[in-house]
Amino acid sequence: MTLDGRLSCLRERVRGREHAVARVGRVPEVLSECESEGLSWGWRVARLFVRQCEAEVPVIRPDERIAFERTVPSVAAIYGEADRRRLFSGRRAHELGPISNICADWGRVLGEGLLGRRAAALASRSRLAGDDTALGFLDQAVCCIDALLALVGRYAEAAEREGRADLAGMLRQVPAHPPRGFAEALQALRILHASVWLCGHYHVGLGRFDQYMMPYLRRDLDAGTLTEAEAEDWLAEFFISLNRDTDLYPGVQQGDNGQSLMLGGVTRDGADAVNLLTRMVLKVARRVSMIDPKINLRVHGETPLELLELAAQLTRMGLGFPQYSNDEVVIPALLAHGYRPEDARDYTVAACWEYIIPGRGMEVVNIGAVSFPAAADRAIRAGLEQGDGMGGILERVRAEIRSQVEARVREYRTLLLPPAPWYSVLMTDCLERGRDLSQGATYNNFGLHGACGSNAADALAAVQLRVFEEERVPAAMLLAALAHDWRGYENIRETMASGPKVGNDDPAADGMLCFLFDAFADACEAAGDNGRGGRVRPGTGSAMYYIWLAQGHEGMGEPSVGATADGRREGDFFSSSLAPSPGAAVRGPLSILQSFAKLDYGRICNGGPITLELSDAVFRNAEAVRKVAMLVRTFARLGCQQLQLNTLNAERLRDAKAHPEEHRNLIVRVWGWSGYFCELAPEYQDHIIARQMHRV
Amino acid sequence: MTGTVFDIKEFALFDGPGIRTTVFLKGCPLRCAWCHNPEGLAPGPEPMVGAGGTRLVGTVMDAVALAERLNRQAAVLRQGEGGVTFSGGEPLLQAAFVEEVLRRLVGIHTALDTCGYGDSAAFERLAGRCDLVLYDLKLMDAEAHRRYTGVDNRLILRNLELLGNSGRPCVVRVPLVPGVTDTPDNLGAVAEAARCVRGLVRVELMAYNRAAGGKYAACNRTFQPAWDEAREENPRTELFASLGVPVMVL
Repeated sequence: MTLDGRLSCLRERVRGREHAVARVGRVPEVLSECESEGLSWGWRVARLFVRQCEAEVPVIRPDERIAFERTVPSVAAIYGEADRRRLFSGRRAHELGPISNICADWGRVLGEGLLGRRAAALASRSRLAGDDTALGFLDQAVCCIDALLALVGRYAEAAEREGRADLAGMLRQVPAHPPRGFAEALQALRILHASVWLCGHYHVGLGRFDQYMMPYLRRDLDAGTLTEAEAEDWLAEFFISLNRDTDLYPGVQQGDNGQSLMLGGVTRDGADAVNLLTRMVLKVARRVSMIDPKINLRVHGETPLELLELAAQLTRMGLGFPQYSNDEVVIPALLAHGYRPEDARDYTVAACWEYIIPGRGMEVVNIGAVSFPAAADRAIRAGLEQGDGMGGILERVRAEIRSQVEARVREYRTLLLPPAPWYSVLMTDCLERGRDLSQGATYNNFGLHGACGSNAADALAAVQLRVFEEERVPAAMLLAALAHDWRGYENIRETMASGPKVGNDDPAADGMLCFLFDAFADACEAAGDNGRGGRVRPGTGSAMYYIWLAQGHEGMGEPSVGATADGRREGDFFSSSLAPSPGAAVRGPLSILQSFAKLDYGRICNGGPITLELSDAVFRNAEAVRKVAMLVRTFARLGCQQLQLNTLNAERLRDAKAHPEEHRNLIVRVWGWSGYFCELAPEYQDHIIARQMHRV
Repeated sequence: MTGTVFDIKEFALFDGPGIRTTVFLKGCPLRCAWCHNPEGLAPGPEPMVGAGGTRLVGTVMDAVALAERLNRQAAVLRQGEGGVTFSGGEPLLQAAFVEEVLRRLVGIHTALDTCGYGDSAAFERLAGRCDLVLYDLKLMDAEAHRRYTGVDNRLILRNLELLGNSGRPCVVRVPLVPGVTDTPDNLGAVAEAARCVRGLVRVELMAYNRAAGGKYAACNRTFQPAWDEAREENPRTELFASLGVPVMVL
């Protein structure tokens, strides 16, 4: 089941970053021509794409069957700093600015070929004559298409020069024309997907790979032009190719690059969508064992155990995927948030876990976070000072959450998305409508993370029990203890820390968690239109906020907090996505699932996984693998929304921190993505080592 | 009625079929030299001193409360085709308590994990209330058994015979200790004994736990293995296969 010699060499070479050495392309100078020609923003982006394509130097490697790698190490500027500031004056840029964290309609682009998309642009051009904005956009789009085709043409020539008729033949066909088979489809996707980064976009999702690629695989298998084993090798090579340029991709940490793909689920018509390729991807990802692509699997209560066992075999590798989404919960939640049935059935994830619709969503699913710990902490401190009862404190929590949501949405109502002519080509109907993606798509919602809820719920439950019900801890003493970060109040800290905890199926703590998310959903509903014809979707993820909200971060608008009433000391990490508070005594995975099953996921549809860490000793034999599969089925049957199962070996992690050179290939899940442990910053390494691990 | 429990472990994957929750009862009549739960030996709560401070091991629990807690998981345990396992320590030492809990469980598959060293009437009562018995056999030789576990094995073998004749579903489990329990003589004799158990599901050979000694210092005991811990244990599954006894290494 391992890779053969050639593929294994490719893998090692990519892992060793040998491609970086060949980056001979020079970053083009684009700004001066943009200035001298007085180009509009849209034309500047198109020009940028053209010049970046021109600057790329084709690389044909003798033992690689899927071509394309970046040789230009970065993306040129199209505005000077002062002009950029002026453009965004009074407006808000999201993260780095360019559109990110969405998913193209890969099936459509592959199926029509770029020439098909070009024809669509020209058809719109004649239909929309007179609409100058539309015409300008469509001309930019055509210009981008031509630029990419020219680059592919140069790749084909280089392949011919190297005597690689196989590669040249493919590159003469795709991505200009529809692929004739699986290999060509993979080659086309590799180029199209990697090209999105050339004009500054990032976190580019791969969407429902097994759905849009299956027709090409089927064609080859039916015609006898590929065996399944050969198809698996092509797939492995494609997966390895996704790791070539990742060091150039922006993210919070190395590995946070959004190359996520989705498997399984149902078709747009609602039929079972699991196919041969679903299983093949699970198997091949195990063989390749690299951090990209990150695999997601859609499941439901009746998903066959055999498929879940295949997925559990992948979990066993410790790569931190697959991540599971429960169709029975996600689809109704999307419907409740205004998604059309066929689109809701077509969901995938953005970079990490946020639910989006490929090709149709121009959603900003991570505009920020609501800090539950800050909301709870401010309410507790103010409430106790003012002599509130528990009811009064909870009302304050509600108000705090609402004001945080309002603040984030207020900032983001001024969101300004730069034009994206090339990304528009790859979406479902931007060309057809003659509208740039930055002007919106079918879905234009925002997503907000409801972060670190377990700590906040534990804090509220501890106050309710210790201060009000038992009257063991006087309000004034708790306030003093919090103000001193528990120094001199160790007994009080222990009393508060030993209160009810989320993750134990405890009604007191879980009730507080449900209250927090309800208040959050209410606040998002009350926020109304997001300024782009969309709404604000609440979610259960935390991304990096489990560290930022605890320790602060430069430029962060979210409030940070000191010591909290759950006994946590200032600066200590919070819970990541849906997990018990760090260090909380919890009963185990079943109780954790039972706790988080109580949330009303119909109201919180932005995603964010329940996160369980399993010891690698769990996977001792086939029976145990089957039991892990049953745990996933239990997750679905309990009505939870999303699950992240990680496999860890704590001793190995500690050793890797001490001797990184011996653990170069050790992969861990960080939040919605996996990375090489040794490439993470120390604070992220420490958090992973400290996670709650379930042994057997 | 109350009993003393030293752990309740969820997602136990190797204590019977499916996903199980295992209740560890405190107190054991045996002193197996390889025991990896030394905190389960003494019957009462005791302090354990670790790097993170001292904690009291062993909670006195009410049978009704424990049953209630387990019943809350009944549906989830059924989803995982599992149930609850009573282990230890030795559940037979708290037979009345365990029986009381068992009586109150509703719709949960139950297993009794026992060393078999206990009152035969109590053993039959508990076994009769469980869906499956996990029966530990360590050493078939009487002298070796005394040396390594501190007790005679006649009672254990007699209870095994009772169990075997009853036809109740049963898994015979052997901890593999290199050079001690994994000898051809011992495993051969285990295979012979297992063959006579009418309700035998299979024999499970448990891999040697190399972290066995880890907790001894914390509960003020000494771990003195009289065998070479570095040596690979030898499961000799062929001895079972040749007798037609189903066997599995865990």
